[in-house]
Amino acid sequence: MCYTPVLVTQETILAESKLDLLQGTLDLMALQTLAVMGPLHGYGIARRIEQVSGDRVLLNQGTIYASLVRLQQRGWISAEWGTSSNNRKAKFYSITKKGRKRLAEDAVYWQRLSGVMGRVLGMQGEGENS
Amino acid sequence: MIHWLRHSFERLRSVFQRAELDQELDTELAAHLELAIEENLQRGMSSEEARRRALISLGGTEQAKEHHREARGLPAVDTFFQDVRYAARGTVKTPGFTVAAVLTLGLGIAANATMFSMVSGFLLRRPPGRDPERVVVVTSVSPAQGFQPDANAVSAPNYLAWRAAGNIFENMAATDNYRAVSLTSQGQTTSVPSEAVTPEYFTVLGVSPHLGRIFAEGDDQPGRDHVVILSHELWDREFGSDSSLIGRSVRLNREDYTVIGVMPANFQMLGFTPQLWTPLVVTAADQTAAARRNRSLYVFARLKPGVTLAQARAEMKTLGRRAEEDFPDTEKGWGVAARTLPDFLVYLFGIRSALVVMMTVVGFVLLIACANVAGLLLARAGTRGKELAIRMSLGASRLRIVRQLLTEGLIIALLGGGAGLLLAYWGVKFVRANMAFNEAASAVPLSLDWNVLLFALGVSMLSAILCSLAPALTASRTDINSNLKDQSRAASAGRSQSRLRTVLVTAEIAMALFLLIGTGLLIRGVFLIQHQALGFQAEHQITAGVTLDSARYKDPVQQTLFVKDLLPRLRQLPGVGAVAAVSELPATGAGHVTLLIQGQPELPADQRPRTVDVIVTDDYFRTAGIPLLRGRAFTGLDNAAAPRVAVVNQEFVRRYLKDQDPLGKQVRLDLSGSTPAWSEIVGVVGNVKFYSETTRYDPELYEPFLQRPVSSFSLMVRTSSDPNGLASDLRKTVAQADLELPLAHVMSMSTIIERQKGGDLLFMQMLAALALLALTLAAIGIYGLISYSVGQRTHEIAIRMALGATGGDVRRMVLSQGVKMVSIGAAIGLVVALPLPRVFAAVFSDIDTSDPRTYVIVLVAIFLVALLATYVPARRASALDPIRALHSE
Repeated sequence: MCYTPVLVTQETILAESKLDLLQGTLDLMALQTLAVMGPLHGYGIARRIEQVSGDRVLLNQGTIYASLVRLQQRGWISAEWGTSSNNRKAKFYSITKKGRKRLAEDAVYWQRLSGVMGRVLGMQGEGENS
Repeated sequence: MIHWLRHSFERLRSVFQRAELDQELDTELAAHLELAIEENLQRGMSSEEARRRALISLGGTEQAKEHHREARGLPAVDTFFQDVRYAARGTVKTPGFTVAAVLTLGLGIAANATMFSMVSGFLLRRPPGRDPERVVVVTSVSPAQGFQPDANAVSAPNYLAWRAAGNIFENMAATDNYRAVSLTSQGQTTSVPSEAVTPEYFTVLGVSPHLGRIFAEGDDQPGRDHVVILSHELWDREFGSDSSLIGRSVRLNREDYTVIGVMPANFQMLGFTPQLWTPLVVTAADQTAAARRNRSLYVFARLKPGVTLAQARAEMKTLGRRAEEDFPDTEKGWGVAARTLPDFLVYLFGIRSALVVMMTVVGFVLLIACANVAGLLLARAGTRGKELAIRMSLGASRLRIVRQLLTEGLIIALLGGGAGLLLAYWGVKFVRANMAFNEAASAVPLSLDWNVLLFALGVSMLSAILCSLAPALTASRTDINSNLKDQSRAASAGRSQSRLRTVLVTAEIAMALFLLIGTGLLIRGVFLIQHQALGFQAEHQITAGVTLDSARYKDPVQQTLFVKDLLPRLRQLPGVGAVAAVSELPATGAGHVTLLIQGQPELPADQRPRTVDVIVTDDYFRTAGIPLLRGRAFTGLDNAAAPRVAVVNQEFVRRYLKDQDPLGKQVRLDLSGSTPAWSEIVGVVGNVKFYSETTRYDPELYEPFLQRPVSSFSLMVRTSSDPNGLASDLRKTVAQADLELPLAHVMSMSTIIERQKGGDLLFMQMLAALALLALTLAAIGIYGLISYSVGQRTHEIAIRMALGATGGDVRRMVLSQGVKMVSIGAAIGLVVALPLPRVFAAVFSDIDTSDPRTYVIVLVAIFLVALLATYVPARRASALDPIRALHSE
C-alpha cells in the first residue's frame, strides 16, 4: 500500500495523460524545503514547492500531509503546534538531525540518477540523428 | 532494524489513535484552507473564487484524509476492524441465522474440546521429574502373543546384568509395583498399595521430595531397609499433613519403618498409584537361575547426555540377545524393548487407540457441523447477492469481498468456539464423573486446561475457514449485471450456490453414514463383550484381597494354617453359601506360565505350551459356580503330603490334549523358585474368561492351595443375599483371625467386573452420543436445504399447481430431490465404510466388529431420518395455495 504522489504539469493536463512520479519524490522535496526554509506548516511547504517549480508544477496539495506523517513517523521531521501569520492554530514542521543526514544521502542519489538519466536519454537522441 | 521496528510501532499505534489523529488532521486541513483562501484574496480574487481555488488546489479533503490514513497506519488492520464491525452488525441483525450457526458449530467444537481434554489429560501430560523424555523404561518382550507382549516386566537377574553392563545410561533403577502392605495407624490396619524401588529410583526420575529426603545408597542394605517415603495423599489422609512425621516410625506389615520423606502432590504417573515407597532389596535369591522366571520389575534408566533412544534400543537388544544365548532355558524367545517414560506410561495405560478413534469421530462431527454452517452461509450469500453486487459496482475488489465474508465466518466460528467451550465445561464434568471407575483413571485430572483452550481456538479458526471459504469464493464470483437487473423481490440463489449446497449436504450424509457404521460396529462389539458369559457366576459374590506379610507368614505352613483357620469361620457367617481362596479372581487377568506335558517332546522355552495358572482352595469351583465336567474337584485330602494334582479347563484339553484322555496325564509347570514337580490331572472344568474384556478362551490350570500355598490371594464368598451387606462381617471375621491383617478391595465380584469395564461403558455412551449428534446435524442439513429450496421454488411450484399438478405430485417432486441426494451420499459413505471392520480389527484385537447387519440397520436409519427431514418441507410445499403465492410475487 505505497502511496505514490502525482505531479501534474500544465501540459499533461491538456494532454489528459497523468505522469506517475517516482516513489519518495515528494518526501525528498518536503525535506529539502524544510532544510532550507526552517519550520513551516503544510500549506507553506506545498506552496513553496509550487513556487520553486515556477508554478509549472501543480501539486495536489492534500497529498503533502501523507508525506509529512510518513516523514514524521520515521523521525526525519518533527512537528509542533504553533500560530500562523494570520493568527490561526497550525502545525509547524521542522527537519531533524536524522532528517538532514537522510536528505544529504538522498540528494546525492537523485543528482547522480538524474545525471545518468540525462546522459542515457541524450545518447538515444544522437543515435536517431545519425 | 531498530528504525524499522520504530516505524512499525508508530504505524500500529496510529491504528488505535484513529479518532485523535483524524481530528488533528482536520484542524491542519482547516488551517491550510484558511491560508490558501487568504493568499488568493490578496491576489484580488472574490471570496467565492478564492475558496473554490483553494479547494481545487487541496484536491479534496476526504481524499487527503484517506491518503493520510494509508500513509500513517496499517490499512490491512483498519480493513479488518471495519470488516469485524460490519460482520458484528450482520450477526446481530439476523439473530435466527446467527443462533443456528453458532449452536451448530458450538456442538461440534464442544465435542472436540471435551474429547481433547482427555487427550490432554492422558496423552499430553508430562510425567513428573527432570526431562522425562530422557528417562527410558526397559521392558521384556514376551514370545507369546497377548495383551501388550512387549511391555512385560523384567527379572531381577536381567536387571542386575543390564545395570552392570550399561554404558549408555547415567543410572538405572528397578521397581516392583502392586505390592500391597498393611499400614497400622491409630489402631486401624488398612491395606495400602505400595511400590518397592531401588534407591536410585527417584534420582533417575529427577524428582525432589516435598519433605525430608529421597532414598540414598545403602537404604537397600538388609538391616537399614526399614525406611519409607509417603505419597502426599497418604501423608495428608492418614497423618494430617504433620511435618514432624519425618524421622518418626510407622507400622508397616507389623514392623516399624522410619519415615524419611514425603513426595510432592504432583508426583503422579499415569497408571501407577502407589501410596508409599519402600526400598527394593535385591537378595542372593534374586540372582539364581530360577529367579529368571520371576519377571516382576520395571526398569527405569536415564540416558547419558548425547545418547539417543535408538542407541539405547540397539544396546538393549544386544544385551537381550546375549541373555538369550547364555540362558536359553529361560530366555529363549524373550526380547528387550525400550521406550521413553512418557511413551511407556501412555502405552501401558492402553487408552491411545480409543482416544484416536474418539478424536476421529469428533473430527467428522465437526466436519458435518461445518458443512451445515457453510450451507447456511451459502443460503445467506444468495439472499445477499444484490448487496454484494452493489458493493462491487461501487469499487470493492473481489478480494475485499472474500475477506469480508471470511471475517463474518470467523466471528461466527469464534462465537461457536465460546459456546462450545461452555458446553465442553459440562462435557468434561460428565467425562470426569464417569472416568472414576478405577484408581488410575480417577487420578488423572481432566479439565479445560491451556492445551484444550488452544485446541478449541485452533478448531474454531479451522471451522471459520471451512465454513466460509466456499461461500466466500462463490459470492465473490457474483455476476454484477444479472444481480442488479434481477427485479424479483425474492432472493435468488445462483445456480452454482445451490449446486454447492447439494454437494455439501450429500457429503454430510456420506460422512454421517460412515460415522454411524463405524460407531455402530464398535458399540456392538463392546456391547457383546459387556454381555458375554464369563464362565462363572459373578453375582452374589463378595471378594477381598489378602496379602500375608512375611513378618508372621513367611513359612508356607503358616500360610496354610491361616487359610485353614479363616475359611471355616467365614462359612459360619449367616447367609454364606460357600467360601474359597483363590490366587487370582476369575476374569481379572491371572498370569500365564509355560509347562511340560508328559509324553510330549520337551520344546525350547519359547515354544512350550502356555496356560493360565490359578491356585484355589478345595471349594473354589462350587463357590465360583464353575461346572465340573469330568473327573473330580479338589478335596481337603489334596494336601502337601498327598501326590500333586491339577485340574484343567476344556480349552486346555482342546488345545494340548486333543483326542486324548486328560485324566491321569502328568504336567509340570515352569515355576520360579521351586523345584519342578509333576502333577496329575484329576478333573476337567468349564472355561472361564481369562479377563472380562477378552473374547477368546485361554487354557487354564488349577492347583490346590494346600499343595502350593501363596501369600497373596483373594477371598471369594458366595452369599444368598446382597453381597455388599456382608462386608463388615467379612472384615470382623478376618480381624478375629488376625487383628493386624487388613483386607484390600472389599467389593462384590460384579463391582470388580464393572470397574474393569468402566471405560468401555463410557466409550460406548460417548460413541452413541456422538453418532446421534452427527445424525441430527445431517438431518438438519437436509431439512435446511430442502426447505430453503422449496422456498426458492415457491413461484415455480405455484405455477405447476395452477397448471393442474396435485399436492401429491409436488410432494413426490420434492421428496425425489431429497432421495436422490441421500442415495448418492449413502452410496459414497457405504463404500468408504466397507473396510472398517478390518481397520478396527487391527486396532482393537479383542472386539468383534464384523457385522453386516450394522450396515443394513444404519442404511435404513439414515434413509428414514432423511425422508422425515425431507417430508416436512415437501408437505409444506404441497399445501401451497397457488393463487396467494402468485399474488404475493
